[in-house]
Amino acid sequence: MVQDYRKLSASKRIALIAASELKGYTSCFVGIGIPSDAACLAKLTVERNLNLIYESGVIGTLPLSKSYSTGSPSIANNADMITDSLAVFSELQACRIDVGLLSAAQIDKYGNLNSTTIGSYEDPKIRMVGSGGAHDIASLIPNLIILMPHDPRRFTENVDFITSPGSGIELMEQRRKYDLGKGPSILITDRAKFIMSDQGWCLDSVLSGFTHEEAVEDLCWDLKQTEKEDITIDESVLKSLHKLDY
Amino acid sequence: MLDKVSNLKNVIKTNISQDDVIFIGGFGHLIPFYLTHELIRQKKNNVTICRSGADILFDQLIAANIVRKVIFGYIGNPSVGLSHAFNRAYKSKTIEIEEWTNYSMILRLHAARMGISFIPSKILQIGDIPDNIGPLKEILCPYTGASYSAIPSLKPDVALIHAQYADKYGNIQMWGVDGDTIEGAFASEKVIVSVEKIIDNKQIKENPERTVIPAHRVTAVVELPWGAYPSYVSGFYSRDDQHYIDYDVISRDEDKLTEYINHWINGIDDIEVYKSRIGYEKIRQLEAGLCGKL
Repeated sequence: MVQDYRKLSASKRIALIAASELKGYTSCFVGIGIPSDAACLAKLTVERNLNLIYESGVIGTLPLSKSYSTGSPSIANNADMITDSLAVFSELQACRIDVGLLSAAQIDKYGNLNSTTIGSYEDPKIRMVGSGGAHDIASLIPNLIILMPHDPRRFTENVDFITSPGSGIELMEQRRKYDLGKGPSILITDRAKFIMSDQGWCLDSVLSGFTHEEAVEDLCWDLKQTEKEDITIDESVLKSLHKLDY
Repeated sequence: MLDKVSNLKNVIKTNISQDDVIFIGGFGHLIPFYLTHELIRQKKNNVTICRSGADILFDQLIAANIVRKVIFGYIGNPSVGLSHAFNRAYKSKTIEIEEWTNYSMILRLHAARMGISFIPSKILQIGDIPDNIGPLKEILCPYTGASYSAIPSLKPDVALIHAQYADKYGNIQMWGVDGDTIEGAFASEKVIVSVEKIIDNKQIKENPERTVIPAHRVTAVVELPWGAYPSYVSGFYSRDDQHYIDYDVISRDEDKLTEYINHWINGIDDIEVYKSRIGYEKIRQLEAGLCGKL
């Protein structure tokens, strides 16, 4: 059956595509919002062995209602373990957590993320929340998936401030020097999946029902197009989507 | 053993000086709202406040103009929006900041807890944050030659935290999400704790594994039931998410925020008044949605 994914909200389409990317992993460092939705959906469907880990120190949970903070009651209530933040961040630094999901206000062609300031650091137009654990995750996690709504204002040639470091030749050299994670390898929007290359993001595949033109519409990057098949979503994942309606 | 139970006014008056560096506990859970509001009521000006992930309590302290400097990894209203009073103070340059990440803030507190001056870490070696942190230096491992950032310790003068139980001697029992609360308490010179309930030492001894800070490390204890509202306390009451959502609208407007501070902070001199402001209908709802078991 051909699904009309356009009827779904942008954040739900991102969660649907991202959930499939978590197959095969056993531990995932999760932030609140779309990352948490995507990880929960994966846990409910394609990867039941996935342990969700939140920076508040909560491990092995599956929130059953909406969570505002990583320390929220819904995160804590259904947990297998509650330890402290030092413990989970140290697991992250020791490369004991497989995969991380991040989002941000701005992203550039090498996957650098900004959640600090729009405009200059000293005299910003908008002062945002800062790193939280995002810099730590982007530096350390072995596998990083970035989730962004297709909002061209947020896709920039260069981010205003690199809160969470990305990829690119220079940064990859530093990542090797400092024994850090390999940086973002996948970017998921509500229209498509992109993969990282030496030249920055490449369009990998497009969500069924969207065109290639729509997948790159108004994005400032020069993106290589691919001929891969469209992304279709597993029926079981789609059926579980309503469980995120809290 | 000394009796550490005190009243809120005295505790803040005698233990906190202007210019102090104050760690404020609570990671979504157990945020010491009522205890910390006393800093505003007593006009403890010029303080430095610090923690990893800071939410609307930090915004309120900044709005009340008592903060000289904020040291943080995150400052905002989780999932709701920005920290608006902080935003205004940052743009008008009426506040100093020292901006880290959550893990580095926790490592700074951990170093102080361990009594050492820094901890090596792999973070803060790339990106734009390291260039904006003044004191950050690199260190090479004497064994492997690996390069690390040397994360300096942060030793607050005072920690303000909230927990479920204490006895009168100051043995603190806490469960549920801790985040960096215990780390920050052990890092600090003085530890001031508000609790939902003061219990007998005999009950403490029944579950000593729940004791997270021992009496001799605690400066004072104040019984303040509902003192963590609008955050939550496992076993007692749930989080008032709507309060955080409403705060986003209110705090965008300076006049409305002043009204809020008068209503929720300056106009209150007793925890019973705070509870009446929450309202008994809401209290019943939040108790019914309680999380964690006693």
